[in-house]
Amino acid sequence: MLGFAIRNVNKRFDDRLTPYMGVLAAVIFAAQFVNFPVPPSSGHLVGTTLLAVLLGPWAAMVIMALVLFVQALYGDGGLLAFGLNFFNMGILGAIFGWGIAMVIFKGLARFQDEKISVLVATSISAFITTVATAFVLGLELLAIPGLSFDFVYIITGIHGLIAVGEAILTFVILLYFVKASPKMISFLKGSDTGKALRRSKKLEIEPTLEEGI
Amino acid sequence: MDRNTNLRILIPVIVLLFTIISVLILTGLASENPDGFEWSLFEWAGIAEPEGGFGGIFSFLGEGPLVDVVTGGIGIVAILVIAYLFFKFTSLRTE
Repeated sequence: MLGFAIRNVNKRFDDRLTPYMGVLAAVIFAAQFVNFPVPPSSGHLVGTTLLAVLLGPWAAMVIMALVLFVQALYGDGGLLAFGLNFFNMGILGAIFGWGIAMVIFKGLARFQDEKISVLVATSISAFITTVATAFVLGLELLAIPGLSFDFVYIITGIHGLIAVGEAILTFVILLYFVKASPKMISFLKGSDTGKALRRSKKLEIEPTLEEGI
Repeated sequence: MDRNTNLRILIPVIVLLFTIISVLILTGLASENPDGFEWSLFEWAGIAEPEGGFGGIFSFLGEGPLVDVVTGGIGIVAILVIAYLFFKFTSLRTE
């Protein structure tokens, strides 16, 4: 799946977008480094939905793989759990996040400004995706002998609260991009990443990025 | 995009992110509670944490806010460089 995502990114994104890929990876890593309190637990931004809306699901998967790999080197998540973490936060997060956000965005954009629509759609999607992936993780962990189904309720319930933080942080970071660099948001008309996502393999690259954005 | 433009984008981001996480960690605004996926949840469910797990490449530095700031800063630069180089060498070339 990661190889498929890398191939999709390689044939669509041109090298003028690479600084933004690096910047977004750094933003997501930094956001994951700092926990906000959700007593008695805590949470941090995952950011897959945000990345999927900005760059599309394939680039989101690749960036999440890189971020999770560095996190694993830091002992957060661990190297052996990398595959499970990537499946939940990278693959499911990107596909759910992008899909749900797209459906809500298309509905809202009919009677609302595009920029407001993308902010609302992404925040709602971030909330739903966080809860959904926590639920899926709970189900996966039922493979551990002796674990009761109550664990699924607990992990999903805690992430219901963490998802509120995820939605708020997603809204704030996306608001920055809406104000400062809307061409980076793939959902918006005329965006560079949106053009990259629609670009076919053989299509010639048109100069899209304005110098000095 | 030329080298200067890249630097103009990348350097302020590194500085801004480093500043934000430093302030949040050093002022104690970052939560110390175990996060939703950490082992405390498993212990609640009656599953003991396995011994001898990989502590991370910076585990020899110990724990503390200052260590978090330093390792966080290194991580931000590292992931930015890794992602930049990864996409630089694999994306489509333009003139």
